[in-house]
Amino acid sequence: MKTTRRDIFKFVGGSALGALFTPVPWRLITDTALWSENWPGIPQPVSGEIHTKLTRCSLCPAGCAVRARCVGEQPVSLAGAAAPLCVFGLVGHHLPYHPARLKRGPVDEAAAAVAEALAKCGAEERIAVLDLRPGRTASWTYRRAMAAVPNGVYVAPRQTTVAVNLAAAKTVLSLGAPLFDGWGTPSNVIAAREHFRLIHAEALESQTAVMADVWLPVDPGPLAGEIARALKGESADAETTALARELRDNGPALVVDREMSAEVLELNRLLASFGRTVVAAPETPVPESWKKAAPVTDLSAVTDHSIRVLLIDESVPGGYVPWPQIARKLSADPLVVAFGWSRLGYGRHAQYALPTAVYPEAIDDIPAAIDSVAATFRISVPLVPAPAGVVSPAEFIARLAGLQVGDALRERADAIHKTGQGTIRSSAVRGMKADEFWKALNGGGEWTWDKPPGPPKVMRAAPDVRSDNLPLHIAVCGGGPALASPLMSKVYQESNLRLAPNYVGLHPSDARACGIEDGGRAILQTGDGQVAVRVVAEVGIRPGVVQVAASPEVLDVCGGCSSAKVVPA
Amino acid sequence: MRGKIVFLAGVLAALGGGWVGFPHVIYHSRPQPVNFSHKVHADKAGSKCEDCHAFREDGSFAGIPTLDKCAGCHTAPMGATAAEKNFIDQFVTPQREPQWAGYARQPENVYFPHITHVKLAKLACERCHGDQGASDGLRPQQRDRISGYSRDIWGAAGRPGMTMNDCVACHRRLRLEHSCLDCHK
Repeated sequence: MKTTRRDIFKFVGGSALGALFTPVPWRLITDTALWSENWPGIPQPVSGEIHTKLTRCSLCPAGCAVRARCVGEQPVSLAGAAAPLCVFGLVGHHLPYHPARLKRGPVDEAAAAVAEALAKCGAEERIAVLDLRPGRTASWTYRRAMAAVPNGVYVAPRQTTVAVNLAAAKTVLSLGAPLFDGWGTPSNVIAAREHFRLIHAEALESQTAVMADVWLPVDPGPLAGEIARALKGESADAETTALARELRDNGPALVVDREMSAEVLELNRLLASFGRTVVAAPETPVPESWKKAAPVTDLSAVTDHSIRVLLIDESVPGGYVPWPQIARKLSADPLVVAFGWSRLGYGRHAQYALPTAVYPEAIDDIPAAIDSVAATFRISVPLVPAPAGVVSPAEFIARLAGLQVGDALRERADAIHKTGQGTIRSSAVRGMKADEFWKALNGGGEWTWDKPPGPPKVMRAAPDVRSDNLPLHIAVCGGGPALASPLMSKVYQESNLRLAPNYVGLHPSDARACGIEDGGRAILQTGDGQVAVRVVAEVGIRPGVVQVAASPEVLDVCGGCSSAKVVPA
Repeated sequence: MRGKIVFLAGVLAALGGGWVGFPHVIYHSRPQPVNFSHKVHADKAGSKCEDCHAFREDGSFAGIPTLDKCAGCHTAPMGATAAEKNFIDQFVTPQREPQWAGYARQPENVYFPHITHVKLAKLACERCHGDQGASDGLRPQQRDRISGYSRDIWGAAGRPGMTMNDCVACHRRLRLEHSCLDCHK
């Protein structure tokens, strides 16, 4: 029997019909659909036992207790262990995956370059460490290292020497301090809120302004001096005199600004707040041998053009010193090494940007917040391992100085334990073994010591740069940490909730006066320089105010100034 | 007539290939590392499901027990069977975790809380897992070569399915349809 072409077609046709009554086509369609849910490129969540780890958030000095839900060794969600976390803290576990994250850098090359520069350092030239978050154990390592090298100097942003006791205050005057935008310890601020009357002076209607009993939509800069004069009976302004009287009569009063400036401290002294709502900042004990370390030096006290080698630790969010202020201290042939998690900060200006661990990869202690009247010690314990290529700034700098540093955190914990003072997790340290104390710290515990605070020291006033040619008052938006997680970056990219780094906000009348339309390109000028920006015209911004984002590029220009002008690009 | 026969032969060949041959092609058969008998453990040792497939303190389901749990009893051979000797030699003594091939693992985009179904809804394990607890050995896992899913999710005689349609049907019957986010969080 001969098979014809017709037979083949009939057989194929029969097979096609038969196949419709089998699972083959339907299963293939289903399987392909299921496969497409898992094809390459779709992130695969880790599998493993679900458990909880405790640590401390090191994104800001609040150092909130964190409970991390982990699958296997991977944290998948963070929550506050004692009080709710802020939005930055909630997404802190995303930071290691930030698109701008540095994971590799020329560590050996940088070490060789620093060693060579040190060898060539002249008698008048200095090696400096700029530590953006002083008071940590790593900061003490830097100070010890700088004491060990010739002409070493340890530099930190201007730090307040006082702590404030919000719980003891009956009336609080905030001069632009972002009380409800991440200032101090948010949970403490919120807990104390119902016990004090809040008067907030700020040109922007910020979250703190909304939460205040009274919002004074004015430039808070000169207000401290005016109230001080009114308290002395030297002011004729009725409103200022009434405000001064309210502060004096409804005590204990507390006046705060972002940095507890000298003017604000003087005002607190006039209001008899010293020892009541304003006390000396508590000191956490350190081993006796560390006390021979280099002193903390303000950058303004360093001779201009004297720094030959500058090592900047920006591995943790802290204060920001505008680059022009640093640049004028550098010698003609400087070497700048920045330790950071990205190149977005000082890495833009450094010859070497070395990668560091980022929260929650790094182990670090967290110095006390401004509203902590008790001495504290708490450790941020890593939740995930750091990538292989990152460097520890403390180890790098100690090695350069030939300093033998073991486990400095453990040494400091032992020194605290040795005092026998204070409590951790409601248990007295006295009677506790050193290992138990260390274990409690590593389990997210916080050591506190309510030592009676001493009288506060008064700081020197910082010069305020103002000019008639710069008509707009600068208002920096946001008081949160400098590190923004990818999630928060997405928030400002897709909404108007946050000002993007390259944008400034103006009242529509100011924008018109500057000749700029909403969304137009412009140049922001201050006494420290200029930066290209885009303008958002927003009626919510007070006339005479330019709102800027707290990004390194903008802070380089605006950080040391209080006034600016905006001109068309 | 001849044409009809050829056409019918094509239909029959497709039906045969589709129903008999296709499962052998699409599924990869993977034997279990140990021939574990649920029946022996239930009958002789008096074990209940939750003795080994336990809930943790936080309410999460531990799933297939780890070697530590087995080694609690099997530090030395319990009996003289070859399977027991193999288990002790291959896994308990070298402390090597058996790589079990699960029958009922849901994909990563599904959140299935055992504790809600077992403790709150009082569902018996057999309702979804069939008579696995009475089996005398472990079937090989049959894994779909394309989707990667176990064949068991489609169900079989005595074993209900575990697809989304099966979940939805049960929830709909019990008037417990709430939201997609109940399972796809």
